[in-house]
Amino acid sequence: MIADIIVNLFRFILLVFVQVLVLNQIEISGYLNGYLNAYLYIVFLLMLPVNINRMLLLLLCFITGLTIDLFSGTAGMHASACLFIGFIRPGFLNVIAPREGYESTLRLTMQGMGASTFLIYTGVLTFVHHLVLFLIESFTFLNFFNLLLHVITCSFFTMLLIVMSQILSQRNREAEA
Amino acid sequence: MRNFILIIRKYNFFIVFLLLQVVSAWFLVKNSTFQRSVIVSTSNNAVGQIYSAYSNVTDYLRLGVTNQALAEENARLRKADSSSFYDTSFKIMKVNDTLRKQQYEYITAKVINNSVTKVNNYITLNAGYEKGIRKDMGVISSNGVVGIVKDVSAHFSTVMSLLNSNTKVSSKIKKNDYPGSVVWTGGPPQEGVLMDIPSHAKIVVGDTIVTTPFSDFFPGGIMVGRITELGTSGESFKEIKLKFTTDFQNLSYVYVIVNHLKQEREILEARTESDDR
Repeated sequence: MIADIIVNLFRFILLVFVQVLVLNQIEISGYLNGYLNAYLYIVFLLMLPVNINRMLLLLLCFITGLTIDLFSGTAGMHASACLFIGFIRPGFLNVIAPREGYESTLRLTMQGMGASTFLIYTGVLTFVHHLVLFLIESFTFLNFFNLLLHVITCSFFTMLLIVMSQILSQRNREAEA
Repeated sequence: MRNFILIIRKYNFFIVFLLLQVVSAWFLVKNSTFQRSVIVSTSNNAVGQIYSAYSNVTDYLRLGVTNQALAEENARLRKADSSSFYDTSFKIMKVNDTLRKQQYEYITAKVINNSVTKVNNYITLNAGYEKGIRKDMGVISSNGVVGIVKDVSAHFSTVMSLLNSNTKVSSKIKKNDYPGSVVWTGGPPQEGVLMDIPSHAKIVVGDTIVTTPFSDFFPGGIMVGRITELGTSGESFKEIKLKFTTDFQNLSYVYVIVNHLKQEREILEARTESDDR
């Protein structure tokens, strides 16, 4: 339990730093509107323990989003988008659950869930997060098709980083073992 | 009422979600005033420190671009500056003194070419014969001795810098007047050697070395360098390492020394020597 808290706290700090100091500074001109951005920090929310209290999950989502907002000067945007992750996550995990349900020791990693399940899980939640985020950012449904394309390209970028980080941490774990 | 509590219990997750969304939305709407006044001011320190540390790092990464921009701006400004036009007027600082006869005058000149990496290094100045510069005049900078004029054309002159195997500057240790001569033996452009100091002379690291008036290139007392290493003493003379006070890699403006009594002295000394024979 305490080990879980420490690991997640460390992950939180690391991801916020990576997000704020590296990913937010990358300026790759996107396919259509604005810059192509990756939001790797949401992997912290995706990897929280499977049996976490739902209220705690919501609160953590809110705090995480707000932290990123502080650094980006976008009060509320990321907080709101992250809340959607927290809202959908428990139900979505139930939908994609195996027939016998989750073991409480299951890690929500690519290794723990299996690659295909993990990709569906992170892919959908990433898409939802990005969709909400960019909708709030543009605050209009005009050019919705363009926005959708932007969401998809950015989601793809984020997913790429998530998978890369999963492979990296998996290797580290194997090296430790 | 009981039903109401039951509903709240049943949907508490959704209600908390909505509540937090409302808070987010409130932040978003109040973004311009609230966020700047409350959130940012309370977290200002932490965020600001992280960002300043971050910019300390990224500033280094941008140094190349910044340098280039500054250099371009400098070039543009220099082009407009009066120094980039060849000045045809005479710039000699002259003091009219009836009690004392002026012996030395200084002509300002700009270094337009400079080398420090060869065995015999020369400096080119943008002032020449027309400004009164003649062969064998001494050249100094604001920090110390630079060299001796080797050749002169109408608008330019070449200076045999101290970083030249043929240059030998008559110098002395400032505190006790032991004379020697400073030469450059190659190697880094900051280090020279003071030769011919008697081995009984008391010196320490850091002593100042200045010119003597023995040669007619320089007036006495112009900085040459500071002792950095007391070399091995030979039988009767020491070889001492010194650091030049002139930064030869970074010369811009220099003064050429006009010695008005040079000819008189040369004639006198030549006559005396020929009388000996």
